[in-house]
Formats: sequence, structure tokens, C-alpha cells
Amino acid sequence: MLETLKLMENNNLFSSYDQLPSTWDEMYCTDSKIRTQYEGFIEYLKNTSPEKLTKKEELSKQLFMSQGVTFTVYSDNEGIEKIFPFDIVPRIITAAEWGKIERGIKQRLKALNLFIKDIYNEQFIIKDGIIPGELIYSCPNFLREMKGVKVPYDIYVHISGVDLIRNNDGEFYVLEDNLRTPSGVSYMLENREISKRLFPGILPKSGVRSVSNYPNMLYKKLKELSNNLNPNIVLLTPGIYNSAYYEHTTLARLMGIELVEGSDLVVKNHFVYMKTTNGLKQVDVIYRRVDDDFLDPLEFNAKSVLGVAGIMDVYRKGNVNIVNAPGTGIADDKAIYIYVPDMIQYYLGEEPILKNIQTYQLGRPDELEYVVKNIREMVIKKTDGSGGYGMLMGHEATDEEIKDYIANVKKKPENFIAQPILRLSTAPCYINGQLSPRCIDLRPFALSGRDGIDICPGGLTRVALKKGSLVVNSSQGGGSKDTWVIQ
Amino acid sequence: MLSRVANNLIWLDRYMERGSGILNLLKVNFYANQDSPELFPWTPIIKNFTTSDNEYYTEDAIECIDFMVFSYANSNSIINIITKARENARSVQEHISRELWLCINNYYLYLTNKDLPKKLREDDPIQFLEDLRNYHLIYNGTADITQERGASYYFMNVGKFLERVIQISDFTAIKLVEIGKTSDNLEQSFYWKNLLLSIGGYQLYLKTHKSTFNEDHVIRMVFQDKLFPRSVYYCVNKLNRHINQLIESGELEKNNIEFLLGKLESTIKYTTIENINKQGLQNFINDIKTDIRNISLTINAVYFSQNN
Repeated sequence: MLETLKLMENNNLFSSYDQLPSTWDEMYCTDSKIRTQYEGFIEYLKNTSPEKLTKKEELSKQLFMSQGVTFTVYSDNEGIEKIFPFDIVPRIITAAEWGKIERGIKQRLKALNLFIKDIYNEQFIIKDGIIPGELIYSCPNFLREMKGVKVPYDIYVHISGVDLIRNNDGEFYVLEDNLRTPSGVSYMLENREISKRLFPGILPKSGVRSVSNYPNMLYKKLKELSNNLNPNIVLLTPGIYNSAYYEHTTLARLMGIELVEGSDLVVKNHFVYMKTTNGLKQVDVIYRRVDDDFLDPLEFNAKSVLGVAGIMDVYRKGNVNIVNAPGTGIADDKAIYIYVPDMIQYYLGEEPILKNIQTYQLGRPDELEYVVKNIREMVIKKTDGSGGYGMLMGHEATDEEIKDYIANVKKKPENFIAQPILRLSTAPCYINGQLSPRCIDLRPFALSGRDGIDICPGGLTRVALKKGSLVVNSSQGGGSKDTWVIQ
Repeated sequence: MLSRVANNLIWLDRYMERGSGILNLLKVNFYANQDSPELFPWTPIIKNFTTSDNEYYTEDAIECIDFMVFSYANSNSIINIITKARENARSVQEHISRELWLCINNYYLYLTNKDLPKKLREDDPIQFLEDLRNYHLIYNGTADITQERGASYYFMNVGKFLERVIQISDFTAIKLVEIGKTSDNLEQSFYWKNLLLSIGGYQLYLKTHKSTFNEDHVIRMVFQDKLFPRSVYYCVNKLNRHINQLIESGELEKNNIEFLLGKLESTIKYTTIENINKQGLQNFINDIKTDIRNISLTINAVYFSQNN
């Protein structure tokens, strides 16, 4: 009775919560019962007036601004400070769910790292016919410059941010493996700091696992890569105009390491040095946030001013460590993604714990037939397309469009893949004074080092703030949420 | 420390000091201009504190303050200076205290708030300028109590005192030109008083010499006073001390910069007022400005020789 009364009080907060059809909701079960992990927080929300919540929302914006958690957009010589939109309602994951995510990501990264090593060395996986060689060689992210390079401790992917989504069966699926220079970890840290101030006392009461150890964990992994007892570790940034510059400064500050730009570094006698006020100082480990392409103008993009000329040569000699290793992009390529479950089987002899999204290769006649039959539930993509270009969304297209598209596919079916239309799970967001379901994904951050793989309990939950939208990217109206893993 | 970082720290404090000086100048001239607009017009302020290609002039106090504070076209406007200071601070966050970064970031956000220009036009302009200047006071206090005494702190102070001594010599040189144009004693005393106010030394002058304006006293205070934190001597002495700290900690090569500073310090200290008057104050200032320029160039050369 008391429960009902309270619900009545804050009736408005829940009144417009229209669950999307055949979509998993993080807060509600199908019978509109609140899932256990959300009970505590929802109780708190019910006891908090909408005015107070709106105030908290404003406070969060102010905090992001005053802490400088911003990126600057320049127009007409005028810099405009922008924040990455933040939704105050945390996304809550249970310990059991997290356990599976953690095991799954570890397994996946183990296999992916073995794959990268194999591809740049013996290439057993090609010889054994698991992955076709031409797929590797035609991939733009395959770096010939890495062939036969001995990488310290055989670790290629030190830092990764695997993107997961929860499908309508309640299971987590891997959307993509980000194995190059994934960003967003500073938002994981900052979102948590903000939650502490917005909801005093609620985090300890809910038993939320801490994420604040991430910089220490990262520093430890970087340090272990060098034989030097007190190695000089630097973070290489493309500079102040990069949209992730805030993240670069934050990580450098929290680890106590130097933030350098390409022009601060110089190669001399097969070592990398930084230019300091008391002369050149040798650099041992570089956590680079500059893409492969821009890393070394002598070997890759000759016009790059963001990198360091000659650095690849020093790297091959083993005189500097680059994190992540160059060339890891071969393993997070769209065309390679399909083969990750096979890799896990091949290298580890295990069943994948986290599933891939079912992907049909239309070059295979039986798969093509299946896709054509179920076209209304499919998205068809070109393997070399990106940014949604040349895509067919089966549930929206007209019969005419489908007919034309399939005719086109049949000309060169091996250039197309198909996936079932995704149902990203929804989580409650505080929008215009009410809770509304919005689609989300999850990017946990994993660190691989000499002593194995550690994953920070939580990660970045991205939200598609537009109603009904499936696009969580910050460039297209996406925002983020704090992510709580509770005991 | 990275050379780029050292350079950014120097310029962080140079910009902050410049902003503070310009704000104070605007405030002093606002009062003076209300009394006697013919002696204290706005045009020379715009002319001397913007770049040479500036073509905008106004004699309207509020328009002038607006231009000097908010104009993106004026490269020395407070908004441009603070934007640059913030960018410098942002890129050296791991070298300055968190508090200092938050202080300068909040100043920047305050300054870029779209409602602020309205405040200048609708409220008390002096309060408006003082609100801005308070951020500089907080900045200095925050640096003092949160920044460890190490290379970063020394470099910041090098920037601060370098900028301050340049500003004092500029302010003085400009006033001398105006003083030279009149033979009226009363007018001359207005100019001297205005100079003291602009560099923030009027109160000390009154305490020391009471309300009588003696040119020699003013010159001695502006150039040679050992205790006045905005005298040329005080700034050069501080500059010398921080440069020496950097040399001792191995952050700076012992080259002729030490010699240049030592020479300048003794010139200022031991030149008598008679000697200054004999060679002409304008020449004396020009010599100081040349020395300072050489010192500044030498510092640049040390930190940028490796970058080429």
C-alpha cells in the first residue's frame, strides 16, 4: 500500500515510460516489474522531487564545465566549449552479468592478441585455412611494416575498449573490438566523480564497485613493459585541437607522466628522446593516442606532423615501446570480425563466451538465400562501406528498393554482409523531468600486461538521447551515463 | 622538464600578468577620464595596448572597455589573453596544481559567458573590472599556496616578472611622452599620480612622501624601491632569483643570461637620480627595455635552440 502511494506521488516521473517493442529494458522486466539491481536507485528517485532532480541535472552540466571536461569547437576565431551530454540516471549491471562480460572479454582479447601475433609472424591461421589470406592482405589496417617485428612480451593490444550491446534475448553481444586507440575512459572516471556529488551516500549503499584505480592499473601495465626500473613513460597526444585532448591531459595527470606532442620527441642514434630544459632525455614507453597512419612520417603518412620521424625504426630495434603496438587495426576490422569466434576456437579451443552479432556473408549461396527470405529483419552492408553509406535497412525499405538492392547484391555478393536488425537494450534516462527509455551500449576498458588482463568494473555506457534512435555516437546526438557494477 | 612545457609556463604567467595590468590600467583611466577627459583620453590606451594594425578607436569609456576586454579582433583583449593563458594551462595540467587549473578555467568560463558584456553596460563598470581582476588575485594566491617550489614555479615566475617589468617600463615611457608635452606643474603632477595608480603604487607613495609630488621621488619609487613589489628593481631582482634557482637545479644553462641580469640589476640599483636626470629618464628607460628584451630573447634561445 505504501509502495503504491509513493508511486502516486512521483507518478509523473514514470508516466511516460513507453518500452520499445521486443527490446530488453535494463530497468523493467517484461511484466513491468523493476529488476532487483534497480530497486534501490528507483526507490531513491521516487523519494526525490522532480525539481531536485532537474537541479541535479543542471549541477552535472556545471561540474563538467568547471572541471574542464570539455572539448572546444572553433568557429570565427571563437572557441565554444562543449560537454559530452550526460544522463544522471546510472546504468546498473549485476555482479553475475559483469562476471560473464569480464570472462568473455578476457577470452576474446587473448584470442585477438594471438591472432595479431600470428598474422605478423607465421600466419598459421591462414595456412590452416581458417581465414583466407587475401582478406588479410587486402585490409587497409594490415601493416606490412610490422611483419616479423618482435613485440615485447608478445603483447600487441595493451588497451582496448570492446563495444557490447544487449540484445532482446538479454544476452550481451560484441558489436566491435576497438583495439587501436579507444577513447572514453576519462568519461568513465569523470561520470563517476559526478555521480558521487549528485547522489551523496547512494554509491556505498548500493555497493558500487570503484573505477578510480584505472590510472594506477594503466601505469603499472605500462611500467612493466620496460626493463628499466624507473622507465620514462610519456603520453603522445595529437595536441590541443584533438577532441579527446581532455582525456589525454587527464590520464597524463592522473598517472603523473609527461604529456608530449610529436614535436617534443626526436629520434637520435636509434633511440627516442624528449627535448627538455636540461637536454635530451630518453623515452622508454610511449602511450600514443595518435593513429598508426600519423605515427611516423618516414613510414606512413609523409605529411603527418603529429608523429615522430624514425620512430618505427627505433621500435623495431626494441629501443622504445609503443602502446598499443602499430598494426593492431588488422584485428578490429569489419571483415575480420566475422572470424573472431573461429579464432577463439582455433587458438584457445574454447567456445566463445560473448557472442558475435550473427553476420551473413552473402558470397555464400545458402546465407544469401536465408537473408533474401528474411529481408525484413535484416540490415545489408557493403564490406568496404562505412558511416551507413550504401546500407539497406530491411524494415524501412519499400518493396521496390529491396528488389533493386538485391539485384545489385547478386552482381557481386561477396562484397556484402547482412546482420539482423539490432535491438539495443534501453535504460531509463531523465529527460524533461521524466524517465524515458533510451537505447544504450557498453564499452568496458581492458588492460593487458605481463600479468594478464584486467578489466575496470564498469566502463562507458553510451546513450542515444534521441527518442527511438539506435545511434549512440557522440557526433550524432549521443551522450553517456555512469555505469555501476553492483556486488 | 619539456622545453615546450617550460615555454608554456612562462607564457601562462606572462598572459595572466598582462591581463591584470591592463585591467588595472582601464580602471585607473576610467576614473581619470571622468575628471579630465582632455588629459586622460582613451585613444592612447587603445593605441599602446593593441597591435600596430589596429584601426579601431573610441573615446567612449564603455565602448573602449568593451573593446579592450571582449573584442576578438584585439589580440591583447582580456578575452584573447585569457583564452591563450587557459590553452597554455590546459597543455601543462600535469605540471600545475589542480586548483590553479580550475581557477583559470573558471575565469575563462566567466569571461566567455554570453551575459557578461551586458553587465559592463548595465552595471557599475568599476565593479565589472574589479570582478575580473579578482580572478588574477585568486590566481596569484592559488599559485602561491598550491604550487611546489620547483621548476614549474620558477618558470611561471620568470614569466610573471618579465611581463611586469616590461609593463612598468611601457607605462612609464608613455607617461613621460605626455609629461613632456606640458609645462604646467599641476598637469604634470596629475600624470605622475596617474602613473603611480596604474602600477599600483600610489598608496605606498602617499605613505612615504605624503601628498606632495616630487618627480625624483616618483622615479626612485618606480625604478629603485627595494620593497615595492611593482618597482623595476624589485622585478629584476625577483627575475634574477628565479633564473638562479633554475640554473642551480640544472634546468637552465649557465650562459650570459646571468651576466645580463646581474648587470641590469646593478645599473638600476646604483644609478643615482642625478645620473638618471643627466642622461634623461627616457634614455634610462630605453636602456632598461633593451636589456630586458635581450634577456627575454636569451631565455627563448635557450629553450628553443633544440626545437629547430
